[in-house]
Amino acid sequence: MIEARSASLAYIDHGKQVFACQEIDISVKENEFLGILGPSGSGKSSLLYLLSGLKTPTGGDIHYNGRDLADLGDDERSKLRIREFGFVFQQPYLLGYLTSLENVLVSKPNENRHQEATELLERLGLGHKTHRHPHELSGGERQRVCVARALLGSPKVIFADEPTAALDHKNGLSVVQLLNAMRSTGSLVMVTHDPSMLEQADRIVRLADGRLDKLN
Amino acid sequence: MTAVIVLAVMLVSGIIAMIDSIPYSIRTVYRYAQEETGIAPRGDPSILPKLVETVRKNAPVPIERIVICRVSSSLVKSIVGKWPFVMLGLKQEDMAYYAQRQKTTSVIGRYPRPGAPETIVSQPVAKNLGLKIGSTVLKPDDIENYAPTPVKVVGIAQTDRWFMINSIEYQRENYFPPIDDALIFAKNLADQNKLDHWTVKRFKGQRPLIFAYFQIEKNTREMFSTLYLILNVVISALAVVITFMMGMLMNIYQSQRIVEFGLLQAIGYTKKQLLKRVLLESVSVITLGWILGLFCTFGLLNVANKVLMEPKAYALDVFDLQAYAYTIPIPFSILVVASLTVVLRFRKFDPVGVVERRLM
Repeated sequence: MIEARSASLAYIDHGKQVFACQEIDISVKENEFLGILGPSGSGKSSLLYLLSGLKTPTGGDIHYNGRDLADLGDDERSKLRIREFGFVFQQPYLLGYLTSLENVLVSKPNENRHQEATELLERLGLGHKTHRHPHELSGGERQRVCVARALLGSPKVIFADEPTAALDHKNGLSVVQLLNAMRSTGSLVMVTHDPSMLEQADRIVRLADGRLDKLN
Repeated sequence: MTAVIVLAVMLVSGIIAMIDSIPYSIRTVYRYAQEETGIAPRGDPSILPKLVETVRKNAPVPIERIVICRVSSSLVKSIVGKWPFVMLGLKQEDMAYYAQRQKTTSVIGRYPRPGAPETIVSQPVAKNLGLKIGSTVLKPDDIENYAPTPVKVVGIAQTDRWFMINSIEYQRENYFPPIDDALIFAKNLADQNKLDHWTVKRFKGQRPLIFAYFQIEKNTREMFSTLYLILNVVISALAVVITFMMGMLMNIYQSQRIVEFGLLQAIGYTKKQLLKRVLLESVSVITLGWILGLFCTFGLLNVANKVLMEPKAYALDVFDLQAYAYTIPIPFSILVVASLTVVLRFRKFDPVGVVERRLM
């Protein structure tokens, strides 16, 4: 489904080339839960952004269903993300002037998914808070709204970048469990530094200093 | 942001409307001259009959009436001080004609009697000078509104025109120089302007002095052309300041929404979509601000007119299109600055920086 071949991401820092990811070969299979584990600064988020097309590799290539993402223009990659991918980020980013329900619907603009969004929020335990604004929700609730937003439209792949970072352990675990339980047929790629969050993962890869360390 | 645009529009159109009220006042106060062509023999009373005869015989338009009059000076108040005004001395039989010609619908009181120290004033003059029937309008101890005996108001004419009439006999008896003037009235009002131009041309370079409304218009335009030039520069500078201020406000506003833009782009909104979204918002905010500003200005001018201007019969045009037109560049310049700011911001915008919390 997604395949990274010798994918590298380098940037220039004070005139020196620094690698966030270096020659990574990895694939994401259909319907699998892939965990990417590594300490802070190991390049796991960069790898997630490469796999999701948010970043373009400086070396190697990323293929999605056989197509090299580098061949796609900015707009095409954006369209691919909105149609086929879902995202949960470290921080529960929501639009402050929208309600929970409207925040969920943001991920699929111009589509009538009102019913689906309401059901998702109900399943995530926020059925009674669909018309609340973000400032009226707790951190855990906000992240659950983000989960609902990522799940709307049953995306083919959900990318989760440390989705538990801003939550306590109990709430974090609950978010991961919900994400995994509700992803239906989609794959889940989750980045974390906390191994306990990946208990349900089908496969875990470890990153250290931008290189793939070990496959489980 | 909308409120700032509203205030900017109010500021610009308010200034222009108040400045415009000065020439507008001149036109309002001296509009009576639209109805007549005045001829003064300039120091030689013996030539007046000849002048009148020349006009009667050669005028290019039908003449309805030629009125012999005397004039003395008086003053009316304006927002920029006192302005000269005429006390017209008329024969008894010409008073009603003159008042009717000046669109008088009715008269409260009566017309002045021949030789009596009496006057009839129009409603705006009465308002402006605070006169009622029985008030003294000219008096011996008032150097600005002098008469050797107190002249009392005996009638108020209901019209929007400004005029003051007393009897020609009173003026002949009490004022110097002892020279009559003539007022020529075209049969059709539409012809009066043509008559004005013909008379000015006919007596150009000769002794008589001609009073025509188009000269008042011309003089007013010339008098204010420099002021308007300065005003254009000031308003342009103001517009630039407002635009820069709004550009900075837009920038701050967008900086506050950087997370929103980053998030939306990260989940798959294209730059074009975001740009369209932001520009649409900007257009809505700016248009709303401009329209609200126009309505607020209209409201403010109405209040100013009712509270400050109308009680003194000062002229203020609340439908002053020029004042509103001056605000048109404001929304456009703000939109240009806002669009440039947005385009520049989006050109090198990296959503990953936001979702990774690097740009927050």
